[in-house]
Amino acid sequence: MSQPSTTMTGATGKPAAPVGARPRGRRRATVRGRGAISPLAALVWLAPALLLIVGVVLWPAVELVRASRSRYSITGLRKGPAGWDNFRNVLANDSLGTVLTNTVIWVIAVVALTIAISLGVAQFLTKDFWGRRFVRWAVIVPWAASLVITARLFTLIYSYYYGSINAVLLDLHLITTPIDFLGSDKLIMPSMIAVGVFVSIPFTAYVFVAGLGAIPTEVHEAARIDGGSPWQIWRHITLPLLRPAILVASVMNMIYVFNSFPIVYTLNESNPGFSHDTTITFMYKLAFKSAEKDVGQSAAAGLFNVVIILVAVLVYLRVTRWRDQEEQ
Amino acid sequence: MTRRSRAWRVAAVGLGASIALAGCSGGSGAGSAGGNSSSGSASGPTTIKLVAAEYSKDHTKAFWDKFATDYKAKTGNTLQVQIVSWDDIDQQSSTMVQNNNPPDILNLNAYASYAKDNLLYSSDDVLSASVKSDLLPAFVKSGSYQGKMYGMPDLSSARAMFYNKTLFTKAGIAAPPKTWAEFEADAKKITALGGGDIGYGLPLGPEEAQGEFSIWLFNNGGDWKTDGKWTINSPQNVETLTFLKSLATQKLTQNNPGKTNRQDAFDLFASGKVGMVVGFSPLAGTLDKAGKVDYGVAPMPTKADGGTPQTFGVTDYLMAFKKPGNQAAVKAFYDLYYQPDQVNTFIKAEGFLPVTTTGIAAFASDPKLKTYLDTLPNAHLTPTDDPTWDKVKLAVQQNLGTAMTGDPKAVLDKLQQSAENGG
Repeated sequence: MSQPSTTMTGATGKPAAPVGARPRGRRRATVRGRGAISPLAALVWLAPALLLIVGVVLWPAVELVRASRSRYSITGLRKGPAGWDNFRNVLANDSLGTVLTNTVIWVIAVVALTIAISLGVAQFLTKDFWGRRFVRWAVIVPWAASLVITARLFTLIYSYYYGSINAVLLDLHLITTPIDFLGSDKLIMPSMIAVGVFVSIPFTAYVFVAGLGAIPTEVHEAARIDGGSPWQIWRHITLPLLRPAILVASVMNMIYVFNSFPIVYTLNESNPGFSHDTTITFMYKLAFKSAEKDVGQSAAAGLFNVVIILVAVLVYLRVTRWRDQEEQ
Repeated sequence: MTRRSRAWRVAAVGLGASIALAGCSGGSGAGSAGGNSSSGSASGPTTIKLVAAEYSKDHTKAFWDKFATDYKAKTGNTLQVQIVSWDDIDQQSSTMVQNNNPPDILNLNAYASYAKDNLLYSSDDVLSASVKSDLLPAFVKSGSYQGKMYGMPDLSSARAMFYNKTLFTKAGIAAPPKTWAEFEADAKKITALGGGDIGYGLPLGPEEAQGEFSIWLFNNGGDWKTDGKWTINSPQNVETLTFLKSLATQKLTQNNPGKTNRQDAFDLFASGKVGMVVGFSPLAGTLDKAGKVDYGVAPMPTKADGGTPQTFGVTDYLMAFKKPGNQAAVKAFYDLYYQPDQVNTFIKAEGFLPVTTTGIAAFASDPKLKTYLDTLPNAHLTPTDDPTWDKVKLAVQQNLGTAMTGDPKAVLDKLQQSAENGG
């Protein structure tokens, strides 16, 4: 998670790109002027990066496609080509509709709540107050902790018999019987979403902190002089200028949250069947836990996942008119 | 940079992230599984690899490390040991086979699918006659697929009813229940104590639903398979599951039994809140160590009045993969493992039950194990000798719990149907 974040905050740090103003021809000339690099030398310098791309992105992708078109025994032994059977079987799975609905709810709820809450958190973090540095560090903690550990911790917090939430509510006499956060069909999704939001806030808030920092103070000053109320200033100055940061944060969060495995898997561990799975945990269970126990079907589901998130992101960019944004 | 390429670049990051994640499950994880120098001659020293399940943090690795030293001293061969947690071992073993890089010996709770895929040595190839004749017949049978033995038992367990003596006294119950009717009445009395006491800890969650259901259905004259045919939805089994559901609807169990895993039920019993739970010898070990709960162990209650209590036995397996040049080393492995001072040391340390005739004799002196040892030779097992069971078991784990809020017969009908279709 940390790698893309640094590049993206860097990109949002200076949204107004002055590069476009420069004529293209001159730029090329300066590169040549510094001394031509032979293609071989260039290749040597590029080799580590290329190897990494081939090894980490391309090779697994090829393997995934190959696996999705193969027939596997329950032991994992490849038994021959399967054509499109794996894809057909995934589409014919009784639980697919439930899983897709869960995924949509999960992604939209977590991303929307995260963005809304992070906007407030970021505003708070940019204010000058005593102990701000300490608060900023504290906000990072949920991000720095391993997701598996966080999720495990929340199963204890939510627990019906030993959970601290239930203990507090019972002691305060707000409830008479414990709440079954993880066992009730109604409550498990909100419970998971709460954890998802909790771990997504730090990254998002810091994107917004960087975005707020990039807004020139003069604009705010001018608005104040013109008599704008705080709400008007925020609504008509801050929010529009934060738009690039919000777009980046939503796209990154959509991808992270969609691909989030540990939270859903861990909190949902004792529930039988697929009724509270998202497409990612569905894919894992297909391979190792469900009665299908079929690596091929799981690989096919994995390819569907890639397509789903790709389409979702492109639709989002289209709807939010990413290109218009760039023209500003 | 054009506007277009920027939009695409953001999308490409997403694509990359998704592929990388999907790729992990697609199977590239077992990079460390190598290291098998398969020298062709049987005489030269060989290196073989063992992938073993972790029964306990304290003992499993310690035992296998020492075993590897003994093995090296006795045979000159090297044994590489990799211990994997139960949570991960299905995934790891599947990935190893998928990458064409299985270990030489694998310790797992299933073997039949591997035998069906023709990946394993049979006992004819790698087990000395003296070793095989010492194994308990029930386990030889459960380890045999199509007449040949492929799954060598490493240890076993048998289930029995654990009851909390303190709660029993409080509720005025004199003796552990012998029939289901008595059991239900006792569970009611304990629940009626109030204060959050739970009559019976019923774990039908995905961890081991098949185990809990097995011991109940065996005590109602049911079985998973009868005379070679699947009988998952037999009238006895429907009756059994309906009975378990009735416990849940009467609130005699802990909250949400269809979503409670075995370990959670054990933890509740260990906290002293639960009157009865089906347990096995390692649970006794945990309870003794904690010293918090005064408990007794009794045979399971039967449905019929005056019936003979049946027990559910479980054994895990050590199976050997066919690889060029490893046969002699694998045979030497089994010869050493089934030496009484090896196998019994392991089983004792882990708190399980023996798998050999000599082992039963060696453990007989322990009064705590008497309840189990008497029943062990006649224990009922799940049909692990049928490769279909490997899938049916998963279907049971993922579906049985839904019967607690749904229709028991419908759930079992569906499982029966999937079993008849080969999983």
